[in-house]
Amino acid sequence: MTVKRYLTSVFTLAEFELRKVRHDTSQIWLRLVQPALWLLIFGTVFSQIRAISTGSYTYLQFMTQGVLAQSVMFVAIFYGITVVWERDLGLLNKLLSTPVPRSAIVLGKALSAEVRGIFQAVAVLALALIIRVHLTLTVGSVLGTFVIIVLFGMCFSSLSMSLAPIFRTRERMMGIGQAITMPLFFASNAIYPVSFMPAWLKPIVIINPLSYVVNAMRSLLVTNDFSQMPVDILALLLATVVLVTLASISFRRILS
Amino acid sequence: MDGELTGYENILMYSKLYGIPGRGRKEAIYEILGLLDMKDRSGDMASTYSGGMMRRLEIAQALVNRPKMLFLDEASIGLDPGAKRVIWDLIRKLRKEFGTVVFINTHDMNEADILCGRIGIMEKGKLVIIGPPAELKTTVGGDVLTITSKTPGLLEQIKKLGYTTITEPTNGQIELLVDNGEKLIPHLVESLNTGGIDIDSVSLKKPTLDDVFLKYTGARIESEDSSFSQARRTRRVFRRMNK
Repeated sequence: MTVKRYLTSVFTLAEFELRKVRHDTSQIWLRLVQPALWLLIFGTVFSQIRAISTGSYTYLQFMTQGVLAQSVMFVAIFYGITVVWERDLGLLNKLLSTPVPRSAIVLGKALSAEVRGIFQAVAVLALALIIRVHLTLTVGSVLGTFVIIVLFGMCFSSLSMSLAPIFRTRERMMGIGQAITMPLFFASNAIYPVSFMPAWLKPIVIINPLSYVVNAMRSLLVTNDFSQMPVDILALLLATVVLVTLASISFRRILS
Repeated sequence: MDGELTGYENILMYSKLYGIPGRGRKEAIYEILGLLDMKDRSGDMASTYSGGMMRRLEIAQALVNRPKMLFLDEASIGLDPGAKRVIWDLIRKLRKEFGTVVFINTHDMNEADILCGRIGIMEKGKLVIIGPPAELKTTVGGDVLTITSKTPGLLEQIKKLGYTTITEPTNGQIELLVDNGEKLIPHLVESLNTGGIDIDSVSLKKPTLDDVFLKYTGARIESEDSSFSQARRTRRVFRRMNK
């Protein structure tokens, strides 16, 4: 298996996920409901009461990246359900019967989750612009944001895929998805600065990949202060590599 | 088969994963679609297909690679007789035109009999017998002829003619074990008539693979000592499925 064959397989899986989205675009709009509620209701109300001080930026400027990251995380963490579903239909067995290596299947699936995540991100960004949140939108900052979103989505969909062999049914995957996403969301800098948090929560923020993602996107889209960027990217890369590897190792066990 | 993609896309995806080069890929896919008689529906979403079409699409996905050997797991299960026949014709075509070795596992003994050159019967995960269908059928004995007649002395006549009876005659009905039953019937009727026997009816039963299957597996499932462990094993299988 050459590198070219390997990459072709990965992108083939993502390509057909894109085709699925194209056949049924309604899911993009449906998934936009939740981030829209966060931005339009939670964000608007909290920027009125000024309960959370976010320095020289408005609260909506501050939380847009948080909502963006959260919505991508939701798509990614529930991707394990799709994988379990595909196992039940026998689609995974068939994939494994092709010459495509397991790690390429996992990478392709992770990238597939991201195909859906990207649509989500575009929609949330568009919504933020519609309600006139002031963001730095240069070619560099938008591209950078998308690169981060893709990595982040791969990271969490791999986490989801490595949990699938343990929890095995769609119902349990639904439960575990919720049990993971909400704590990670609240124990991060997504909707309030870390300085507000009690001391016991801060260590969790440090090991939470979501914090680094939100930080990096905030640097790109709002503050334009890139001093933390290398740390953020390295932390995200590390988490992604570890989780993709973990998912590749445990992938075959989904079937047994 | 993925219902969220069209039939064509389903095959295209696998042709890419199998590494079929871009040049000639489209032609190869349409050739397979033609072979399976699915060209006109290839642009529709696979979720709108009938059961038989879905099965054909799945076979098409496996065929795009032009495999030398094809494993089919219950290829015709749950299909109506018409759709079944389409799948069977396809399997025959694959053997004849492409020289593909086809390995089928099935619960349908008729299907196995019609399609297979060699049949293996498995019980509890072990192969209990293997051979060509005709050979397997001879192991359960020859054809059974049932003759009914109200004329007394039927049994004596038959014994005089040198046939083996299986059962004692009841209500003027008698069962014989013979070879090549269909060829024998005219001779037998003639000789019995000249012997003064009026025949009401004659029926012929040829052994089927069902009989072969029952001979090698059935008796053991029903025997008392194994029924308990059998039940336990079944439960375990169910548990594994529910996991």
